[in-house]
Amino acid sequence: MTDYVMEAKNVYKTYQIKGEKKEDYKIVEAVKDVSLLIRKGDIKLIFGPSGSGKSTFLRCMAMLDIPDKGEIYLGDQCLTQKGIDLNKARARIGFVFQHIYLFRHLTALGNVELALRKVLKLPKEEARKRALDALAEVKVTECISKYPSQLSGGQAQRVGIARALARNPDIILLDEPTSALDPELTGEVIDTLRDLAKEGTTMLIVSHEMPFAREVAEEMIFYDEGHIVETGPPSLFFNAPNTDRAKQFMTRIINRTTRE
Amino acid sequence: MFEFLFDPRYYPDIIQGLALTVEITLFGVALGLLLGTLLAIGDIYGGKLVKGAIAVYVEFFRGSPLFIQLFIAVYTVPAILNLRIDHYFLAFFVFGLNSAGYQKGYIKGAMQTIFDDQMAAGTSVGMSRLQTLRYVILPQAYRIVIPSWTNEFCSLTKSTSALAFVGLSDLTAAGISIKAATLQILPVWIVIGAIYLIWITGFSKIMDIIYEKKKIIGVELSTQ
Repeated sequence: MTDYVMEAKNVYKTYQIKGEKKEDYKIVEAVKDVSLLIRKGDIKLIFGPSGSGKSTFLRCMAMLDIPDKGEIYLGDQCLTQKGIDLNKARARIGFVFQHIYLFRHLTALGNVELALRKVLKLPKEEARKRALDALAEVKVTECISKYPSQLSGGQAQRVGIARALARNPDIILLDEPTSALDPELTGEVIDTLRDLAKEGTTMLIVSHEMPFAREVAEEMIFYDEGHIVETGPPSLFFNAPNTDRAKQFMTRIINRTTRE
Repeated sequence: MFEFLFDPRYYPDIIQGLALTVEITLFGVALGLLLGTLLAIGDIYGGKLVKGAIAVYVEFFRGSPLFIQLFIAVYTVPAILNLRIDHYFLAFFVFGLNSAGYQKGYIKGAMQTIFDDQMAAGTSVGMSRLQTLRYVILPQAYRIVIPSWTNEFCSLTKSTSALAFVGLSDLTAAGISIKAATLQILPVWIVIGAIYLIWITGFSKIMDIIYEKKKIIGVELSTQ
């Protein structure tokens, strides 16, 4: 038995950005030969300039975008081979979106319950109980019957995390979970992630929350121009990254944090 | 002038005419919703061939007068199928097919405003695309589309007068026969007009109440 939760092997993904005219489009090589291994209980954090392809890579891991080339493994199962039931695989992967994407016609509770009922096919009572547990874990019990538009950004994102968490997935992938929130609301989401980290939840997070990264990440992954430039423990990046590109980026980001 | 209002001989005409108008409109809007949904999904997911066929369908039903569509149905379909089919029954379907041509646009528009992010969210929790359509996208799209649906209902109600071309008597046809019998042209049309107005206004109010109750909190309508 391996303790591998997920693995990406030589993954490639390009996409087109369409311009105003039909003939001007740009091809973006968002993921170029990226490999990554995640073990049970790992917390890894991907960071790098915006537009470098981090989010696309994360969506490929969840098979929300299908890679052009390369393999994605969930445990022993290869998700990129033909004939795989991707819905079943996605049910074992939690995904948290930058822009949250709650189901807007359902309450907070309904958002968490839906997959428990329709994917895991749990009976009503049990689904409700598990949804309530997940909402309690992210500390939003006070607004379970509110609709997404009635929630603050921080509450909404914690409901998003509960929705990803409720199925007891093997791993949770988080795509910049705090970057669309007002600065004063990021704290509550970070606290939730810190709690999850303490419980040993396996997580791959795209984020620029540096103090948080330093505290919980075992490994930081510097991603730029479609590939992994450098990986290492937080201490490496905060003291002396090996590559110039990472050095520059860290200087910029640390300056920004101190200015704030 | 309005004596005919108190003459019970004219009541059956009015009641039967109104009943036909109401039946055909409600059935037409319901069938149109069902078909319109399928056309909208086909137009979003389909390849070039499916999209092209849907475009032809929509242009035919939106671009030609309803009475011609009724005419074609009544005089060709039974001949082609070599069956005797009641005009009444064919008219139901023509109204449904016609309404689908319009409703496809409303439903597709509503789906597109929410499609990408809600589909990503639905599939991210392990639901299939079909499940996401059923439990996430369509429930939202239908709520957004209710006001357009009310408009469709109003316009279809008034279109039932085209049924006269194939020998069916709706409310307008009832007016024509009462007018011929009484020669009170203006009063008859005022009364018939008032019946349309009361029915359409009443039904629209009910739809407005349903919309208010069912609307997705915080998602404001921008399609009207």
